[in-house]
Amino acid sequence: MELEAGNQACSYIIQSQEEEIKRVALELHESINQNLYTMQTGLNFIEAGIENQEMKSYAKEMAGLMERTIREVRLLSVELYPNTLSTLGLVSAMKSYSKLFTNTFGILIDVHSSGEEKLLSDQKSMAAFRVCQEALINIAKYADTDHAKIEFTWGEISVRIDIKDAGKGFDANEVMESGRANGIAAMRERLRLVGGQCDLSSELDKGTTVSINLPIQ
Amino acid sequence: MGYLKELVLTECDSLKQNVPCDFVGIALQNRNDPDITWPYAMGNRNEKYKYITVRYGKGIAGKVISSARPMEITDFTKNILGKITDYPIMLAEKLVAAYSVPLVWNGLPRGALLIGYRHARQFDEQEKQKLREVARKLESFLPSHFTEE
Repeated sequence: MELEAGNQACSYIIQSQEEEIKRVALELHESINQNLYTMQTGLNFIEAGIENQEMKSYAKEMAGLMERTIREVRLLSVELYPNTLSTLGLVSAMKSYSKLFTNTFGILIDVHSSGEEKLLSDQKSMAAFRVCQEALINIAKYADTDHAKIEFTWGEISVRIDIKDAGKGFDANEVMESGRANGIAAMRERLRLVGGQCDLSSELDKGTTVSINLPIQ
Repeated sequence: MGYLKELVLTECDSLKQNVPCDFVGIALQNRNDPDITWPYAMGNRNEKYKYITVRYGKGIAGKVISSARPMEITDFTKNILGKITDYPIMLAEKLVAAYSVPLVWNGLPRGALLIGYRHARQFDEQEKQKLREVARKLESFLPSHFTEE
């Protein structure tokens, strides 16, 4: 009984955090960035009307800075909450994130999907997305490889997602026992709360696979 | 561009042997946007640097360019600002220590020269001065980089 209440509290905290992150991301994208865009257009307009060359160049510099800020805010918003998750689905969101990941860490990611993609609830798709994200970040931090794969296998009642790398791997038992596996434990917990399961297998010098099983309904 | 690349890599190779260090990289802003890439590297362990694009103000190169000041890391991942994932070139090349200086073109910092080591170490004033001298030399190649097709 106590355990169930604990699980519910944990689930509630995660959901609240995700909702808040989503709110901030949308606010950045739809409100703040729209205002900045209006200001940039205004600066361009002012620049066109200035005859003093020094002032004109200053206004141009300001418009350039504004453009950079708009890009920064847009990227920050996407990093916080991938809008494509609710509009185009999990596979598209992962493809989009993989491009960003390659640009950031230089690691090439192959995303492959087989079977017909099904619609997942917001909670489930967000949990799967965050776990994939965490698995990829772990590859960048520890795997020492320049290539990884994400494979989606869609069934009628569940989806399986494998995130594989052929990096240096590690002794999974030793890491789990040493208490240095908070990230892995968090991935498992996150999926368990939405009825899913997360398994990890790793072998030294052969690589690591994180496997996710998530019921669709 | 092939000839320019050869000249720049020769400078990087000479720097790598003279310092000596494990890695030398040059990050430059794109011609038409503020994003930064690593077009030149020596002592690289893999090809990741070719795919990395850092935003202005992010990562070592982005911070060096936006602040126009050198940056030093002596024992990655200790005592760093932000998360370890904010330093992609350190992760990609398994660097533990690095020192980077800005490369200036037309009065503005448009790139960064970085030397890296795969073990922890401090940088003395002599090494820093050496890197500044090589940076001034490399800056003479920047007009060709930013203007040639």
